[in-house]
Amino acid sequence: MCLERDAPSLLPMNSTTHTGEDSLAIHTQGLGKRFGARAALESIDLEVPRGCAFGFIGPNGAGKTTLIRLLLGLAEPTSGKMRLLGHDLPGDRAAALARVGAIIEEPRFSHHLTGRENLQVHAAARDRSASGRIEPSLDRVGLLPRADDKVKTYSLGMRQRLGLARCLLADPELLMLDEPMNGLDPAGILDLRHLIRELVDEGRTVLLSSHLLDEVQKICDMAAIVDKGRVVVEGSIHELLNGGTRAIDIACDRHAEASGLLAAVRGVARAAEWEDQLRVTLTPEAPVDREIVTELLRRLLDGGVAVERVAPVTASLEERFLTMTTPLEDRV
Amino acid sequence: MFDLRLIRAEALKLRKRHGMVALAIALTAGAAVLVFTVTAVQHASDPGKYRPAGGLANYRDAVEFLILMILVVGAIVGSTAGAADLESGVFRDLAATGRSRIALFGSRIPGAWTIVLPIAAGAGAIAAVASVALAGSLAAPSAGAVIAGTFALLLAGALGSALAVGLAALFGSRGPVIATLLAVELAISPILATLTFLGSARQVLPGQALDRIAQISLHSVPIALPVAMLVIVGWMAAAFGVGAWRTKTQEI
Repeated sequence: MCLERDAPSLLPMNSTTHTGEDSLAIHTQGLGKRFGARAALESIDLEVPRGCAFGFIGPNGAGKTTLIRLLLGLAEPTSGKMRLLGHDLPGDRAAALARVGAIIEEPRFSHHLTGRENLQVHAAARDRSASGRIEPSLDRVGLLPRADDKVKTYSLGMRQRLGLARCLLADPELLMLDEPMNGLDPAGILDLRHLIRELVDEGRTVLLSSHLLDEVQKICDMAAIVDKGRVVVEGSIHELLNGGTRAIDIACDRHAEASGLLAAVRGVARAAEWEDQLRVTLTPEAPVDREIVTELLRRLLDGGVAVERVAPVTASLEERFLTMTTPLEDRV
Repeated sequence: MFDLRLIRAEALKLRKRHGMVALAIALTAGAAVLVFTVTAVQHASDPGKYRPAGGLANYRDAVEFLILMILVVGAIVGSTAGAADLESGVFRDLAATGRSRIALFGSRIPGAWTIVLPIAAGAGAIAAVASVALAGSLAAPSAGAVIAGTFALLLAGALGSALAVGLAALFGSRGPVIATLLAVELAISPILATLTFLGSARQVLPGQALDRIAQISLHSVPIALPVAMLVIVGWMAAAFGVGAWRTKTQEI
């Protein structure tokens, strides 16, 4: 994938100042959706601020796509309220969705038409200015040279890019991207990551639903983890990463003796051997890293233990995700 | 409800299906050319045995045949207009623009008409020209007969397309719609028309109404012209209503 970093931007977004509830791009309260006896969404309370990349992550069947379908008016909720870009749904659906671009699962096209013709068809459903954005949109996703080829000759990655171009026809204030990395090669993923950040830098909001937690961690400013139809945690990526148990790995000799010395330090919950080193798990009351590391080192050195390396454990979104969602074997 | 930009987009999607358009032309204009050519060659080779290829009677036979073929073409094109976006998943993306689903559905019937009606008009023109040019010793069709025949062909195209679009929205796929419409138009409806005990109830059969408008009276169900027109309009309205309701209420 070859996204033009310096490609001309689409029409500049209207820079309106939003206050209060309108400062949220998406706001749901108690949003639920049932299919017969099965609840796809139990009760989703979600607040997505404007102008950020927001990750929406959860295991398969957690309700990610269902939420996007409800927000786009493709299905009716069975309970709760939704608000999109300051407009109530479903009452003000047309106004709410006029500046929303979305990819739902795999983007679909009329395969017998060219990429450009597919965008012409889609632009006809948008306001009149959308037709004028076809060329810049194709250019921005690097598809201009293949715009007059039939979509049936496109790779999955090219169809994903065409799906993004279709989103851009709306000059979107909000993009909802459901698994946009599917089918992209590593270079394509990198380019898409840059494009999403560019779009956010232009003041647009991106809701990124993905199972690629590493990508969410790299792209998004904020995220929500959903499990069994409920949001289990929501916040900035920094907050999510630092919300778990803190730990410090220490490479040293005499593990058994060192464990005993460290377990006695205030702020240490436990110290145990882990992958040829010691992992020291801290209590929530433990002091900041600089102080606790100094104290741990002092105890070890005073006890005659030789220390090779000390490293605070950096939590990943994947680890946080796994601690907060239902294990695979427990899912129905 | 009927947006010109959406209708043009629908026409583009259909027009670019070159195989479907070629088949539609072959089934109508192509078939008319073939029939008139064969009968003209037969008449030229043995005028004593074979009548001239043209004339009023042959024109009416041609119109009756073309009505059936145009209903078939309407079923093919209309079901494609009605179901292709649903089958491909494109409709979900179109609906996600916030555009009224009724407007999206409403573009499909006129979109199908942009393909079917010119083909119907072309086939009708071929039949009319050939019937006059090849009338020989027979009475050529009058202007009134040609107008009635052409009007019936256009109505058959409009009706066939509308029925197919509405049913396709209901079923969500092309295959069952084409099969159902072919069965009704080619088999069930003609059989029902012969069941005299049904009496005036047979007036609601669209084929009978089209025959009346075309001034063909093969099965002789007496229908007043305004009633025939109402029957056609009623079926089209019903198809639109069913399709619009389904499109508006379904979850995608």
